[in-house]
Amino acid sequence: MVITQSPKEIDSIGFGLMNPEEYREMSATKIITADTYDDDGFPIDMGLMDPRLGVIDPGLECKTCGKHSGQCNGHFGHIELAAPVIHVGFTKLIRRLLRGTCRECSRLMLTEEERDEFREMLKTVRSLDQDVNDVTKAAIRQARKKDFCPFCGEKQYEISHEKPTTYYEIQNVLANDYPQLIAAAMQDEDDPTSPQELAEKTGIELARINEILGGTFRPAREARRSIERALDVDLTVEDMNKLMPSDIRDWFEDIPDEDIEVLGINAQNSRPEWMVLTVLPVPPVTARPSITLDNGQRSEDDLTHKLVDIIRINQRFMENREAGAPQLIIEDLWELLQYHVTTFMDNEISGTPPARHRSGRPLKTLSQRLKGKEGRFRGSLSGKRVNFSARTVISPDPTLSLNEVGVPDRVATEMTQTMHVNERNLDKAQRYVANGPERHPGANYVRRPDGRRLKVTEKNCEELSGKVEPGWEVNRHLIDGDIVLFNRQPSLHRMSIMAHEVVVMPYKTFRLNTVVCPPYNADFDGDEMNMHALQNEEARAEARVLMRVQEQILSPRFGRNIIGSIQDHISGSYLLTHPDPETGDPPRFNETQASDLLRGTSIDELPEPDGVEESEAYWTGRTIFSQLLPDDLSMEFISESGDTVVINDGQLIEGTIDSEATGEFGGEIVDKITKQYGTTRSRVFINEVSSLAIRSIMHFGFSIGIDDETVPPEAKERIAEAIENAYDQVERLIETYEQGDLESLPGRTVDETLEMKIMQALGRARDNAGDIAEDHLDESNPAVIMAESGARGSLLNLTQMAGCVGQQSVRGERINRGYEGRTLSHFKADDLGAGARGFVENSYTSGLTPKEFFFHAMGGREGLVDTAVRTSKSGYLQRRLINALSELETQYDGTVRDSRDNIVQFEFGEDGTSPMMVGSKEDFDVDVEHIADRIIEAEFDSDEEKRRFLGEVPQETNLSEHTERLRAAGVISDD
Amino acid sequence: MVNVHAHTLVPEHRVMNEDEIEEFLEEYDIDRTDLPKIVAGDAAIPDEASVGDVIEIKRDSRTTTTAYVYRLVIEG
Repeated sequence: MVITQSPKEIDSIGFGLMNPEEYREMSATKIITADTYDDDGFPIDMGLMDPRLGVIDPGLECKTCGKHSGQCNGHFGHIELAAPVIHVGFTKLIRRLLRGTCRECSRLMLTEEERDEFREMLKTVRSLDQDVNDVTKAAIRQARKKDFCPFCGEKQYEISHEKPTTYYEIQNVLANDYPQLIAAAMQDEDDPTSPQELAEKTGIELARINEILGGTFRPAREARRSIERALDVDLTVEDMNKLMPSDIRDWFEDIPDEDIEVLGINAQNSRPEWMVLTVLPVPPVTARPSITLDNGQRSEDDLTHKLVDIIRINQRFMENREAGAPQLIIEDLWELLQYHVTTFMDNEISGTPPARHRSGRPLKTLSQRLKGKEGRFRGSLSGKRVNFSARTVISPDPTLSLNEVGVPDRVATEMTQTMHVNERNLDKAQRYVANGPERHPGANYVRRPDGRRLKVTEKNCEELSGKVEPGWEVNRHLIDGDIVLFNRQPSLHRMSIMAHEVVVMPYKTFRLNTVVCPPYNADFDGDEMNMHALQNEEARAEARVLMRVQEQILSPRFGRNIIGSIQDHISGSYLLTHPDPETGDPPRFNETQASDLLRGTSIDELPEPDGVEESEAYWTGRTIFSQLLPDDLSMEFISESGDTVVINDGQLIEGTIDSEATGEFGGEIVDKITKQYGTTRSRVFINEVSSLAIRSIMHFGFSIGIDDETVPPEAKERIAEAIENAYDQVERLIETYEQGDLESLPGRTVDETLEMKIMQALGRARDNAGDIAEDHLDESNPAVIMAESGARGSLLNLTQMAGCVGQQSVRGERINRGYEGRTLSHFKADDLGAGARGFVENSYTSGLTPKEFFFHAMGGREGLVDTAVRTSKSGYLQRRLINALSELETQYDGTVRDSRDNIVQFEFGEDGTSPMMVGSKEDFDVDVEHIADRIIEAEFDSDEEKRRFLGEVPQETNLSEHTERLRAAGVISDD
Repeated sequence: MVNVHAHTLVPEHRVMNEDEIEEFLEEYDIDRTDLPKIVAGDAAIPDEASVGDVIEIKRDSRTTTTAYVYRLVIEG
């Protein structure tokens, strides 16, 4: 497609009602017949598929504009409605206008002063950008209060609205049983009234009174009022007087322009009577294309079906009216027409049965096309399916850099990058084309300078490659080093889409380094990810500079690194640097071992050995780790395992490297290196740490099984004893409770106190069991190593495996649901003991009893349900939050403003600071001076140059011949 | 009655004088109505403040010790 128009700037968008005259003017044709195609398959003139409404079949010419399909956007037609109908979109506004204006003179029932007041209010509210609706609603409320029109004095009636499109006036009319009502009132026991007396009181002739009593004369309003007054009765009933759309239209036509101005309506754009449709626009065929099925049958769009209904009823209505059908039938048809026009616009109105397809499926009409997740806005405009994207399963590859992504060859041969051929890349381009579309670094298409696009095939590739010359474009396969975007849903933060460099690989999965799992929240249990190939130089440059994984090491959420060592990397570096429990020193390695550990890194020379043992030089794990650190790095912090880590001039002097040092969420060393040495150094560091850690965990060997978490028999005994003690405590508590001696804690009932105390006792029992188990698991136990280093798992997990699983709970209480007074039929009713209420005294190693297993499943289920509910709730919350904040932007003056330039914050985050650029802790400032020194050192060759840059030697520039004289006068430079 | 102005959690609210306002509006290149709003009935604003005044609020901030924000007093 060639874009012929230049883009235009949108100055403003106005919304209003559409004048029916405008519909007629813009209409390409009037539609009068419900038929679409004739027997030969040609569209019928003035039918719903009239050729003047646009073209959908390729090759045909539009009868209105002469363009071809694809070029012509289509043209509206129109249907002249036999009778006016209400537009469903405006039922609320119509109701408000009916209630606020006079039924006789149509004026807004506000006095001049009130009107001016509201007009003034509207002005201030508009200038302050507040909700205009507040004022207009108040105006209507005020106008509604009046029983009589302040202009013509007409009595006003209540308007009732029956959804969706029927309006009634509630009027009081004479009840049908008025003679009985009068007679009953006259025979009042205390004070009977004779007809004679009534005639005197009301001033109505006696004969008339008798006629009224006989039911042969209906008293008019005046007479009715005087009888009511005389007898103190109510002779009226409420009557619903239906307002037909034509009545409403007439009513609205008389509303003066200046009156609706007070209601926030601009009469120039929107006359209220236009809310009642007299002419219906027919969308162009391009908006409702018909599909030809495989068997040659045509299948029409839902909108077309709906339009057919409208036209049919419209015609029947006209025929019936011309034939002089009774009012009842006309009204029925009118209502039917209203129904069809209503469902044409919105088919999901409450209280109205949706219009259905023959198959029973509700029709997708105008508003359904726009609304909701699959609708035009969220489904087709904000989000749409795109070319140059791929999706497959992911799997880990620790040999890749964190910046890279392994792309399967079959993806690489499908997705292309455009090469603009010139003298310098001509050779390459020709080689790609020569390889054809199937051999890997090949090409799929070429584009000649004349704009013609040719497909490269196995057959023509040799021949075509010879023709390629500067000026051509070649769509070559993805090759190593190309930059692509990589994404995992749900895309909750900006690190969910990052740019990676391509490494083409065999097999079918995307490969990624395990350290980028945390930002994507990915694992390899079947996760799939998406890849997008970038299609222009600008996008590629932007992605490389802003979106590459190494640029995302720091998270803007908490200003510390989100990428770092995970799991095995942490266990590995812990083993490498933690003192051996036996010797009390960090592990030692001989030359072969040390070089092997550093094999995956850029370190190719070992430092001076730390010492000699049995005539062999050795290096400690800390020395080996130090090789990865920048030479001038110095810092000190407390590690996860509790010791102090001291790094001096790039040497790890003391301490254990664990999750606190290089971990994924705020590892101190990674954080500091990123902030002080830049993202590239940090990327190198993370890659090398993970590769060193993997080598070292392989050196030591690391595995875990349930047998690693079994404790010796004496420990088991001690645990059993601790639990037994707790059981006794619980028994005693229950006993005191049953005797009524238990004292309640402040603010709690006795029952609650008992529960609390039992929970406490059992909780303590589990902790004790855990402590005992821990005592018997030594420091070299894999689960202990993982928990202590922060690699995976916690002491609680350990306790549950080796000691005792502990109390199971549902809704924060011990389990108390099931049968009446008991959880399972295996217990006596009202047994409050530990076992009967879900305490699991076994450990995962010893195995749970069936009852325990059941309670454990109950607690486990609650956890699953909670996470499911939480994700859906927080997802929606997040969507709303994103929509509310999406247009906020930090301006160059430091303020945060929305798209209308309203100030939200006077300084971004009150301090104008990016969390990514500041130190992670208060006493952990970024050493700016150090950075500056290092950069200047690297930048300038000589001290002279450096001093000149730093401004220590003022440079005299552009001096004139008369410098000496000027200098004497105190002038230093003349520029 | 509790004096909310004395409460530790209520930051200091001050009515700005016209010169200050002018200078400040100039700095941000905005009209008075572009400011965030505060209703005249808000218990925290000084008693002498009236509709149309601009209030300077001096808040404690974790990152910058003190942060200043500005509000236009509106009816309500």
